[in-house]
Amino acid sequence: MITIPNIPESVVARHGSKAWPMGLAGAALLVIGSLLSWSIDPQVLGNLSISLNPGGLQIMVIAQGLIAVILLLADKGPLASLDQFADTALGLRALATWTLIFMTMVVVAITVEAGGLVNVEPGAWICFLGAVLLFASSRLVLPTETRHLSEASLPGWVEILIICVIMAALLFGTAYALGLDDAWQFVFFLVFVMGLVITATRAGALSWLGSITTRRRRVLILAAFTVTFLFPLTQGGSDANMSIAAQVLVFAAAAMGLNIVVGLAGLLDLGYIAFLGAGAYVGAALSTSGFATIGWKPPFIVVVLVAGCFSGTLGLIIGSPTLRVNGDYLAIVTLGFGEIFRLTMFNLDGNNGPNLTHGPNGIPAIPDLEFGSFNFGDTHVLFGVPLARFSNYYFLLLLLIAFIILVFYRLNTSRIGRGWVAIREDEKAAEAMGVNVFGLKILAFVVGAFLAGMAGAIKAHVDVSVTPDQYIFLESAFLLAAIVLGGMGTIVGVLIGAVILKLLPEKLRFFADYRLLLFGLLLVLMMRFRPEGLIASRRRQLEFHEEDEELALRVEGDIAEVVT
Amino acid sequence: MDTFVQQLVNGLTLGSLYALIAVGYTVVYGILQLINFAHGEVFMIGAFGALTTSLVLFRGQTSIWVLPFMIIGAVIASVGTAVLMERFAYRPLRNAPRLAPLITAIGISIFLQEFVRLNYNQVPFTSWNPFNLPDAKALIPFPQIDVVTGPAFEIGGVTIQRAAIFTIGALLMCSALLWYFVNRTKTGRGMQAVSQDADTARLMGINVDRIIVVAFAVGAVLAAVAGVAQGLQNNNIGFRMGFLAGLKAFTAAVLGGIGNIAGAVVGGLVLGVVEAMATQYIPGQFGGGPWKDVWAFVLLILVLVFRPQGLLGAKAVDRA
Repeated sequence: MITIPNIPESVVARHGSKAWPMGLAGAALLVIGSLLSWSIDPQVLGNLSISLNPGGLQIMVIAQGLIAVILLLADKGPLASLDQFADTALGLRALATWTLIFMTMVVVAITVEAGGLVNVEPGAWICFLGAVLLFASSRLVLPTETRHLSEASLPGWVEILIICVIMAALLFGTAYALGLDDAWQFVFFLVFVMGLVITATRAGALSWLGSITTRRRRVLILAAFTVTFLFPLTQGGSDANMSIAAQVLVFAAAAMGLNIVVGLAGLLDLGYIAFLGAGAYVGAALSTSGFATIGWKPPFIVVVLVAGCFSGTLGLIIGSPTLRVNGDYLAIVTLGFGEIFRLTMFNLDGNNGPNLTHGPNGIPAIPDLEFGSFNFGDTHVLFGVPLARFSNYYFLLLLLIAFIILVFYRLNTSRIGRGWVAIREDEKAAEAMGVNVFGLKILAFVVGAFLAGMAGAIKAHVDVSVTPDQYIFLESAFLLAAIVLGGMGTIVGVLIGAVILKLLPEKLRFFADYRLLLFGLLLVLMMRFRPEGLIASRRRQLEFHEEDEELALRVEGDIAEVVT
Repeated sequence: MDTFVQQLVNGLTLGSLYALIAVGYTVVYGILQLINFAHGEVFMIGAFGALTTSLVLFRGQTSIWVLPFMIIGAVIASVGTAVLMERFAYRPLRNAPRLAPLITAIGISIFLQEFVRLNYNQVPFTSWNPFNLPDAKALIPFPQIDVVTGPAFEIGGVTIQRAAIFTIGALLMCSALLWYFVNRTKTGRGMQAVSQDADTARLMGINVDRIIVVAFAVGAVLAAVAGVAQGLQNNNIGFRMGFLAGLKAFTAAVLGGIGNIAGAVVGGLVLGVVEAMATQYIPGQFGGGPWKDVWAFVLLILVLVFRPQGLLGAKAVDRA
């Protein structure tokens, strides 16, 4: 992390009084500038060329300006009571920095896209000046002592309302981002969101939110599921976006399953995609596709269970010899297993063994699912919004993910979960304490494989065809990257990681060629600088930073809080 | 009988290649207890180093005297890569949980493959190609060298490729030099000491960090030689060649007993012969070329079940 050096105290002492009016002026300039035209060329970054009719980027800047005003008023002024609890000065600094970055990027983008600096209209320059003023003022504002956030108590309905508002913002934010076709606009939206999140973190709002959500877990879960269920309705029947969403959910389901193996039990499984593939092949072979190779056609529920059991059995076969030896072997053996699986599926084409999979051609034309009279291929209308094929699968996958999360959560908070932590931390010590090391490791491995098998059976129907080249090693590496990026052993983190890794390449086509290069680099850098992931559980963080005494104390505090 | 000898020769050739790479896994594992997953990529970069040397300095030249320069080029590329990755990726993670360096290794592996694929024929992010190098997105033909490539020898019905003789010879040479280095030089004995007990070795005045760098470098030298041998044998190289070769070589290292240098050589040869024999002698539909990789991995799993310490015994295998 690059930190901007603090300015000398003498300067703060001399000019500190000017900070507040300067910041307000900056915020005002941001809002005023956003109402004016930014660019001569209307083709650039959405239409930013009409005064008094702000486009997407301009609305983002207005939002930044308004948040700056709120933070300034909280620092000194009518909202000062807020300042007792929130680090408004730190928040303001983060906000100002990101606004400045945003505006600099806007100027650069207009110059590049429209071909020349002359295309930048006064509105953009006014905003830029506002951002500079805000930045300067934020460096002069001094952070104040804050009280512990747990002392800030709001009425219950306010807390619930806040959760709902945030969830709604997430829903519309995602829908808006998916709707952006222009890569530049998408990047700007990401920068905007990142700026907001960092501002909230610095101001302490995020940890406050964390304490609300742990208190109101039920509300949060309910709100989260309502929002995800409502998501297809925001897409107005666009199946292209829903297809991406369905792919993201399959990926997220697999990542959550792998998270049990890697995140909870600490076993590095590099062939996890093979379990997904095994489930997909079972799903395809037992489907009513004309190319299916097995005559038995049970109902889909049975197929899903068979797929899960088949993958689970494979997991047992691979796991039982290798889980007895040092964990490093497991990584390589699972990698070897992934290759065996792919090669076997590739070879079983009738020439080199029985014809089960049609070799490299795979099993195509897998029909859509049908539950009673409900066909997943049909378009259904809900609240006046047409929901086509991928939306139907989206709901099914959502159920699957809910199930996987339930399994994950229940296992993690049980005696089994604590056994896994013990194994992860020190296998020998765990064994000495009477933890059934081998049994628990096998359990993690088999449960992970079972869940992947279930997800695979559904994936076969979503993708319509199953081929061996969908299950290469790189896919396993992506799943792992999602877990590492999001935060091993967390639910929210891994879901976010999966969404980021699957959504970004879809939206940022221009970096498609460099995608893998960046992934590799990302893995290395994450392990070096933030091995616990973007969203880390405290306990996990401590495992990666054993020497951090302060963190250890905080974790102890957390545990004490839970116990009492 | 002829087919048996033929498969034995094929197996030994393949096995020599595995053995050369496997030494790199085993040396690093013996000292750091780290599986350097990216070692297969070091091998790949060695092959590309040799190719680059040949294309930049001796384009069109096929005389035998080019070969030493190509090997030197390969060694420079491989050792450079290995030392850099030790310094910047692995060293900061020396005391991290075991999962961390493994994930880093996968990251390095993907990064190096992609780096070669995208940037071999251009300076990164430009299209400037000063030496007119070929595009690495497809397989690149490897330069043919007199004496070591060309028409094969026929000895009593058994065909022996010239490149095969080079590979087996390279393994013999490298093993002899490695034996001398490990047992007779001061640094080599330092390596032994560190692999037995790093803390005590440090107390005895051995610079452990330096020894670790040396271990990476030694592995890289052998991988570079293997890269040249692979190029001569297959006539072409590609950015993906390190993945499967690395995996097989690791299997060989485990087979021989990881951490044990002689074991790596034996394991490599055994794996190569088993693969060749499986191609020939497993009857029915599950024999033949398409299944040989499968049998190699099945062998790995069987070894882990029945003899996790490997054929010659590993330094330390935790059994839970």
